[in-house]
Parts: sequence; structure tokens; C-alpha cells
Amino acid sequence: MDDQVRKKIVSQIEILVEVDAGFLAEETMVSDIEHWDSLAAVGFIAMVDENYGFTPSPKKIAASKTVGDLVDLVAAGLDGK
Amino acid sequence: MAAARISGVRIAGIASAVPDQVHLPEEFFERFGKDEVQKVVASTGVYKRYLAPPGMCTSDLCQAAANRLISAGKWDRSSIDAIIFLSQSPDYSLPFTAAIVQRRLGLASECAAFDVNLGCSGYVYGLWLAGSLIAGGGMRRVLLLMGDTSTHVSEEDKSVALIFGDAGTATLLDKTDEPGDFVFTLGTDGRGEKNLIIPAGRCRKPSDAATRLRNSDKDGNRRSLEELYMNGAEIFAFTLAEVPKTVRNVLVASGRTIETIDSIVLHQANRFILEYLGKRMKIPMNKIPLSLGEFGNTSSASIPLTMTHCLRDALSQRKMDLLLCGFGVGYSWGAVSCSVGEIIMPEMVFLALDKIERETEI
Repeated sequence: MDDQVRKKIVSQIEILVEVDAGFLAEETMVSDIEHWDSLAAVGFIAMVDENYGFTPSPKKIAASKTVGDLVDLVAAGLDGK
Repeated sequence: MAAARISGVRIAGIASAVPDQVHLPEEFFERFGKDEVQKVVASTGVYKRYLAPPGMCTSDLCQAAANRLISAGKWDRSSIDAIIFLSQSPDYSLPFTAAIVQRRLGLASECAAFDVNLGCSGYVYGLWLAGSLIAGGGMRRVLLLMGDTSTHVSEEDKSVALIFGDAGTATLLDKTDEPGDFVFTLGTDGRGEKNLIIPAGRCRKPSDAATRLRNSDKDGNRRSLEELYMNGAEIFAFTLAEVPKTVRNVLVASGRTIETIDSIVLHQANRFILEYLGKRMKIPMNKIPLSLGEFGNTSSASIPLTMTHCLRDALSQRKMDLLLCGFGVGYSWGAVSCSVGEIIMPEMVFLALDKIERETEI
């Protein structure tokens, strides 16, 4: 997956958790994001389903520690298609 | 499962009842913070709910709905051959609630009665079961009662405290010579066991001091093992995997399309889920009636309650092609395509605690 796609996913997560563009980096800890909660996890599933055509595993979302881990989840799902 | 087809059955009437006590999200401002509550409400769409006070059970609501329905339709109580009570909130562990309601409604002693334990998929399952009793079980008239009161919900658990409402409904099904099939698809995936569960208080883990104690989870929600746990992300993933598929299957099996169906009544899980399902299945939102804003997620009652709240005038006057779909706890899901209309549909009952009828004189 090229960097542009990874950046796009990060920006889609920024919209989801209501922060300004460029606020999140792949290294950002999920636990440090104020609006990352169970509603955001549901929103993430819908965002991935709508834009990338598959449903990411809720268990893997819950186990993700960084924004980069969430991006990896989408990348792995796209590779598996 | 291939689609199940039932003929020779019609829905003759539907009535719904809610407690007369309104609850608003503002009640939670102090506990969770105003911003947080408003964020939850913006997503779930539940801005009002009716909750049963202590002393009011699902059976009371179902009984009130049934009495209003039977009076409106002027049916003879002794003509009801079977009564089904479908709920997760029975009066007691035993006896089963259908027997209690059979007496309180003044039904005949020749009436068959039993309970069914199902949640959000319950209306579709209930129609299939009641319809089957008529189509192949020798019954002519079946009273299907269902609903829930959301006892066992912790007010300290943000993931469930703001969503659920209480309701009881009554649907009367009759044997008929009219043409028209009910086409069902039903499904189950028990891997959902742990994702929507009250873990303790019954046989698997009996109640003790530890199961009654509330603990905080990683999101700061506090609940005991005897209170409802819901994993919203898992439920949503299951919904996306199964609901579009089951809706598609029932449309194919019944030879209908989204365009030819008049109304698609989905279990009122929450607004975010219903709007996303609409988008995903390319169903215009004007075909998906919503009652959850005013009544919340009322479990198995949500489909008949939505029909009472949103489709009462239409269904009283004319036939409509409907697709009903329920999904949730279990996991369990089902969809039915059917033609319903020109039926008895009384106004919603708003039940006061002091109006619960303990006996019906006949």
C-alpha cells in the first residue's frame, strides 16, 4: 500500500474523531485520542466498509495501540481481497 | 436455510403499549457530561424513551395492548386458540408468563400457551411461529405478545444507559382463505453469545455477592455481571455481515424488489445503524420508518411498535407490501416479506402504573 493511501486513511480517522487535518500521526497512541471510544470504533467499521469494501475485525480494532495499527488493519484487509 | 413459506394466514390486528413515563437524555448530563450525552444521542438518534416504573412488567404492557386490540376488533376471547409470550423479561423464572397473561386476559382454558426467549429478532420469529401454528398446527387464531422492559441495564454504563426503551405489543393472527404468502428467512450464529449478554444471575453463573458488585471497564462504564453488556462494534460488524444478505435472500425468495416493497420495517437498533444499512442496501430512507427517536430501542417490540407509530393510518386502510427484519441478541436474525393491511390498529396505549388490570372479568 503506498503512502498516499495510508495518509488518506489517517485523514479519514481524523474526520471520525473530530480533530483537525494533520493532527494525527501513525505513531499517535489510540488511547491518547480524546474521541476514540466505542462509538468511534463503530464509525471506523462503517468508514472502512463504505470506502474499502470489507468489515474490519472488531477484536483487531480493540487491540490496535496506534493509529498506524488501524491503518495496517485496512491495508491487510485490502491485501486479502 | 432455504426460505420458509407460510400461506393461509393473515395478520388481523396489531396494538402497542408503552409506560406513560417519559425519560430524556438530559437526566444523564450530570453523570456523563452534557457533551458526551449529546454525542451519544446524535449517533443513536434516541432523544426520548418511555421506561416502566418499578412494579410494571412487560406482561402488563402486553396485556394492555392485547386488551385494547381485542376490544377494538370485538373478537371473542374464547376464540383465541393459542397465546405466545416472547420476551427476555418474564414476570418470574417460573411459571412462564404466557399462562399468567392467559388468565389475566380471560382467555379460555382450552388455549395453548407458552413463552419464547428471543430479543431483537423476535417479531419475525414470532410471526413464523404463530403462522406455523395456524398453517400446520391446527390453530385458527393466535395471539402473539412480545416486548421487553430494560431491567438489568446499569445507569452507570454509557454504552447501554441511553438507548433502550420499554414496550409491549400484541399481534393477532387468523386463519384465512385469502391468497398471499409470508416468506421467511431465519438465521442464528451462537458465536455472538458473549457480545450481548447478562452473564450472571441464572443457571450458568448464579447470583452471589460478587456478581451483584459493579466494576468499571476500560472505558469507565460501570456494570455488574447481572447487568447487560453490549459490545457495540461486534454487534455492528455482525449486522453488516448478515442483514443485507438476509434482506436480499427474502426479496429473491418472494419475487419482490426494494422498489416494489412499500415499507421496510427494521428492528430499531439505533439511527446510525439503520441509516448505514439503508445506504448500504440502497434503500431510500423514506421507506425505512423510524420510531426509535421517540421510543428508543425496544427489543422485540420495536417492529410492531414502529408499525403502530408510523404506519397505523396506512395499514388500517389498505394493503401494503412489507419487509420486516429483526436482528440482534444471540446472534439471531430473520426477515419476512408479506402483504399486510386493512387490519385493526388501535392507537398507542400509554400505560399508567395504577391502570394495570390484574383481572379481566368475562
